[in-house]
Amino acid sequence: MMMRSTIIGLAAVFLAASMTPALAQKTAPTEEPASQEQVQSDVSMREIAIQSNFTGVEILIFGSVDFSDSRTPGEGTYDVIAVVRGPDEPIVVRKKKRVAGIWVNGPGKTYGDVPGFYAVLSTRPVRAIASDEALHELGIGLIDLDFGRGTASSTPEQAYRSAMIRLKKEQQLFQEHDDGVTFIGRSLFRGTVALPVNVPTGRYTVDVYLFRDGEVASNSQGSLMVTKAGIEEILYDLAFKYPFVYGLLGVFIAVMCGLAGWFAFRRN
Amino acid sequence: MIQIYLPIAEISVNLLVMLGLGATVGFLSGMFGVGGGFLLTPLLMLSGIPPAIAVATGANQIVGTSVSGTMAQWRRGNVDLRMGFVLIVGGVVGAIAGIILLKILRELGQAGLMISLTYVAFLGTIGALMLWESVNAIRRARAGKPLSARRSGQHNWIHGLPFKMRFPRSRLYISAIPPLVIGAVVGLLASFLGVGGGFIMVPALIYLLRMPTNVVIGTSIFQIIFITAIVTLLHATFNYTLDILLAFLLIIGGVIGGQFGVRAGQKLRGEQLRALLALMVLLVALRILFDLVLTPSDLFSIVPVAGL
Repeated sequence: MMMRSTIIGLAAVFLAASMTPALAQKTAPTEEPASQEQVQSDVSMREIAIQSNFTGVEILIFGSVDFSDSRTPGEGTYDVIAVVRGPDEPIVVRKKKRVAGIWVNGPGKTYGDVPGFYAVLSTRPVRAIASDEALHELGIGLIDLDFGRGTASSTPEQAYRSAMIRLKKEQQLFQEHDDGVTFIGRSLFRGTVALPVNVPTGRYTVDVYLFRDGEVASNSQGSLMVTKAGIEEILYDLAFKYPFVYGLLGVFIAVMCGLAGWFAFRRN
Repeated sequence: MIQIYLPIAEISVNLLVMLGLGATVGFLSGMFGVGGGFLLTPLLMLSGIPPAIAVATGANQIVGTSVSGTMAQWRRGNVDLRMGFVLIVGGVVGAIAGIILLKILRELGQAGLMISLTYVAFLGTIGALMLWESVNAIRRARAGKPLSARRSGQHNWIHGLPFKMRFPRSRLYISAIPPLVIGAVVGLLASFLGVGGGFIMVPALIYLLRMPTNVVIGTSIFQIIFITAIVTLLHATFNYTLDILLAFLLIIGGVIGGQFGVRAGQKLRGEQLRALLALMVLLVALRILFDLVLTPSDLFSIVPVAGL
């Protein structure tokens, strides 16, 4: 409920502010000098704090096309693809097999660089927007994603790779939304992406590509930071920086609770 | 529906569900006079907590509940400090071995399986033995036959071992080796399964060492504080798997539930209590076994290399 009103509020702010290019983070010069259009974009929240009431968050990616050649919103001159990518981490994929009636994990396959979060939002299916080669070059879409070492193209390997993608999708950590971005006016566009409760912390990149006739006309890059805050941050930092102290704290709390419980109930 | 985000488990759980889980296990452990870890850790795993975090956090919860329990036993003079110390020394060795074993198994991706198999083996055996014993006791009581007296003071092979020590509170003069070994086995189980190990410790002290039952309960719960505290510290330091926030919720529920459990337990007869506990232990064992045997809905699983 609160989330929604925040988004509406922010949407109103950016509608007013979208004319001022100062809001945009970084704008790369267009690759084709012939076309003048440039894309500018930003996200509704650049800092996401995970606190004890965190259950996931929806962020708004918005932007505008400057010097747009489009006359009406539905004209389809432009397409937008936004890629939100979280920090990479190594992942092991294992397949269970039956051994003496019991399901046992087989040897795992390790992928070196799997994005902790990866979402592609687009105005249309990405394959309708650009050629496979163009998408591959830009690293857009799960099929073209390079997961680092361990990536081979043998058939059994492919099963592990697609299983990982499927499981990550089930956890909402990989997302593809074919209609995730919509044009509001002739130059304004927006899209929302839901970060689930299990999002990894770290720096996320938000790449927004403006396509015209299957080519990138302009792109813009932004980023957002997911961090733990409040008690979550204190406990997390303590647990990984001073694990022994953290362990002692755990024991201490337990002993105190146990004593308190005993004193509270002993008369009865 | 109050959701709370756990900093180490990195998932959001329902506050009331976790408090309720702690209270239920606390109630049962108070009622039966057991630590409850053998119920808590599997239940945590079933509610989506990663196994390694469930084990470490379960151990931390038992520290809290066993402090409450020990205070009550201490006042009745039921704690044999000397025996407790020997058990703890063995327990530390076992706990360290358990931590190393768990680390190796996690790297091989077999930790969850081995934890489950060990649970099935131990809970199945103990549950079946307890059920057999308590059903026989109930039958004998119904038939009006007197309960057979405990054969105290009877000598067995244990009395032939060297390094004899005197344990005045338990009225024993025995070798230090059996308590050290029992302590080590329980320490291993505590760090590997996230249990207190009372369900092994109590029968071992009664049937192997022939300690008086009242001293066994007090001494067992006393040493469980130290073993689970050490296990908690070791897991936190070497595996980063302790979630204090989760442990806190479980302890709050557990300490309160435990007090009510003790009162409920006083209304039931010993044999009936044991039979009930045995059934519960068997149910948990069966539940875990089913998960191992039934075809999983997804054959594949993913796990971060750095984490679990």
